[in-house]
Amino acid sequence: MKIGLYICHCGTNITASVDAEKVAAAIAAEFPQSYCANVEFICSDEGKTFFKNHLLEQQPDRVVVAACSPREYENTFMQILAEVGINPYFLQFVNIREQVAWVTPDPIQATGKATIAIRAAMARVQLQQPLHKQEVEANPSVLVIGAGPAGIQCAQYLAEAGRKVVLVEKTAALGGKPVLFEELFPTMECGPCLLEPVQAEILHGNHAHNIEILLLSQVEEVNGYFGNFTAKIKRSPRYIDNSCIGCGMCVEACPASIANDFNCGMNDRKAIDMPFLGALPNIPFIDPRACMHIQGDSCQLCLESCPVPEAILFDDKEEIIERKVGAIVIATGATLYDCRQAPELGYGQVPGVYTSLEFERLAAANGPTAGEIKNSDGKAPECVSIVHCVGSLDRKHQPHCSGICCEYALKFNRIVEHKLPGTKVVHFYKELVVPGKESFTMLEHARSNPHAQFIRCKDIANVKVTASDGIPQIAYQDIDGNAGSLKSDMVVLCPAMVGGEDSGSIGKLMDLDRNSAGFFEELNGKLHSAQSKVKGIYIAGSCQAPMNIRETASQSMAAAGYILSALVEGKKLVVEPITASVNEEQCSGCRVCGSVCPYNAISYLPESHTSSVNALLCHGCGTCVAACPSGAMRGNHFTDDQILAEIEAILQ
Amino acid sequence: MSTQIAQTQPLDLHLLESKPFEPRIVGFLCNWCSYAGADKAGASQTPYPPNVSVIRVMCSGRVDPQFVLQAFHKGADGVMILACHPGDCHYKEGNYRALQRHRMVIRLLEQFGIDQQRCRFDYVSAGEGDRFVQVMTDMVNTIKVLGPAKPLLEPVA
Repeated sequence: MKIGLYICHCGTNITASVDAEKVAAAIAAEFPQSYCANVEFICSDEGKTFFKNHLLEQQPDRVVVAACSPREYENTFMQILAEVGINPYFLQFVNIREQVAWVTPDPIQATGKATIAIRAAMARVQLQQPLHKQEVEANPSVLVIGAGPAGIQCAQYLAEAGRKVVLVEKTAALGGKPVLFEELFPTMECGPCLLEPVQAEILHGNHAHNIEILLLSQVEEVNGYFGNFTAKIKRSPRYIDNSCIGCGMCVEACPASIANDFNCGMNDRKAIDMPFLGALPNIPFIDPRACMHIQGDSCQLCLESCPVPEAILFDDKEEIIERKVGAIVIATGATLYDCRQAPELGYGQVPGVYTSLEFERLAAANGPTAGEIKNSDGKAPECVSIVHCVGSLDRKHQPHCSGICCEYALKFNRIVEHKLPGTKVVHFYKELVVPGKESFTMLEHARSNPHAQFIRCKDIANVKVTASDGIPQIAYQDIDGNAGSLKSDMVVLCPAMVGGEDSGSIGKLMDLDRNSAGFFEELNGKLHSAQSKVKGIYIAGSCQAPMNIRETASQSMAAAGYILSALVEGKKLVVEPITASVNEEQCSGCRVCGSVCPYNAISYLPESHTSSVNALLCHGCGTCVAACPSGAMRGNHFTDDQILAEIEAILQ
Repeated sequence: MSTQIAQTQPLDLHLLESKPFEPRIVGFLCNWCSYAGADKAGASQTPYPPNVSVIRVMCSGRVDPQFVLQAFHKGADGVMILACHPGDCHYKEGNYRALQRHRMVIRLLEQFGIDQQRCRFDYVSAGEGDRFVQVMTDMVNTIKVLGPAKPLLEPVA
């Protein structure tokens, strides 16, 4: 077999310690049918032209390039092979710069090491097989899961670019959590004011025809691979259709009620009701658990009061909707760490102790108290204590800092100062974090509140809330060891953010990893934080990490950007051939390969009792190849015989 | 640019063996972390002993225990498997598979009279050029202390 060996000198980078002539001579002695060419800079234009012409002239069976790291230039030279009609997988690239010349100053040692490396490549390359890239059709549509700030922004960007989007949201309204907040840090603009224009665009804008909105819906099943996913979505009945004019007559007429999830259960909603005042779409929904008619009673007061009675559909049914898409964006958000895990803070035990989310609703004009900050006894608090870092920065709970809690805690200070002037506000915190170019204003403002007090504690475990005459009593020890106590008739806990309630089930559906706090793992935390480790599945917003609305918006745009560049309408997707494949004659059907595959790329064919690799799902890691007890699994381009040939050549 | 077809010359492939004992070590490096870490060490031009010959695999999970046995059979004095750090695997969990297989293979090697230290599993990230140098140096020093390995024999039929 004629192997063309090209040794790059990289100026003197390689030849300063590697004697290329000696290496060439040693290799030529062992591989007499092959040839060796020395090139000064093979990556230069001149070098590449030489390489190309020389290949055309010599017509080698295989090619070895000994130069720098294959991580840098292997692709360039594979392309040149393809240009001259040689299968690009007939190339083996040897790293004699980074891993030999630059780290081995002794010329004898460097020359010896380079010779061994090239010899191994010469042995291996003979066994390399021609491989071909596969092209598959791809569906340019996108499934977006979650209609909070990340989901609606992403859906809107994609729709503007002409993509068809299926937007799935489990609640009955768009906008996620921030749309329930009266004011947003650091500028104190109102949450709905910020998000309503995007919601309106999604519902009625110029590109709304590109977005299919499925509310009260959840993804139940996902199959397929990047470019060709099939999702099954379960849509629960709303019992109201789009002919509803949103007048609210039915709400007034309805005699039944149930705890209102949108207000954290702090008040009740009618069985037929708007999700919350101002919710978009402006259509009520029926909670079947509370509706007397659906529960078998003859009540149909809503129907009788409705000016467009055909809008109410008592026989609306759950349905499974199947959609084909090319990519999926997960934007399912975060949730709060359960404050009951820190029982010393009294949540759920002591009246007057609230989570930050509950406080947001107490402060919101469309919340349970119409924006009046008051306890369940109806009295406005005289002292509001805000406990930061609940369950955060603590290995017993969550080790991370969520970053945004301090910012909204300072916002609460300002809301209390504004709504209840003169009310005492006490901040208990472990660390105070206000990063970024604007948030310091929140801190400045809070510090200038004459009724505000800041108490730093070594640990939040040093803050204890008990009930005294039905009023929360806080005993604490500050960071200097001074003990203190105070009566605080309202306590607001700011817990760590953790992965959303559904991230576990969604992760399972799509085989996505999550960290210990339940956030989705990204492909790379810095460069590719909006990509999951599964091709074609993107993660946007706080399902990936604690983040504020600005970061969420950026990430949703990043996810849209990835999709627009990777999944181009009318363009086929190229599938790399470095995958595993099964030799069916050798396969015993033991299915060990499937159990180790990180991508669910291997399925079992019961009719032939063998395993089968889906090349589109396979990432080519080769762990199944190493696991196969009968040698039936082949790792293309990294086959057993290729690697064994390398081992043997190294130790020759 | 100099180009010539090399002449056949006597071969001096035993350069490494001219010294008292120069271990021959096979290193399996995953493409994404440890191989990149080796490149990083190269870019910083920190010297380390030349005794480890690198075989690049896409993932440490590709390292079949038979490769380790074959290396010892062919006369290696040591074998290294370098992987991404836990949680950093480019293929999610290939490094854990590699770790499991390593635990198994060192017990097997022990049965054959091969010291467990001759087969090292370690983590090197793409940024850890210094760590790569340290791991390489440690391994070579360890094997130098242990001396040449007794080659694994072919199974008797």
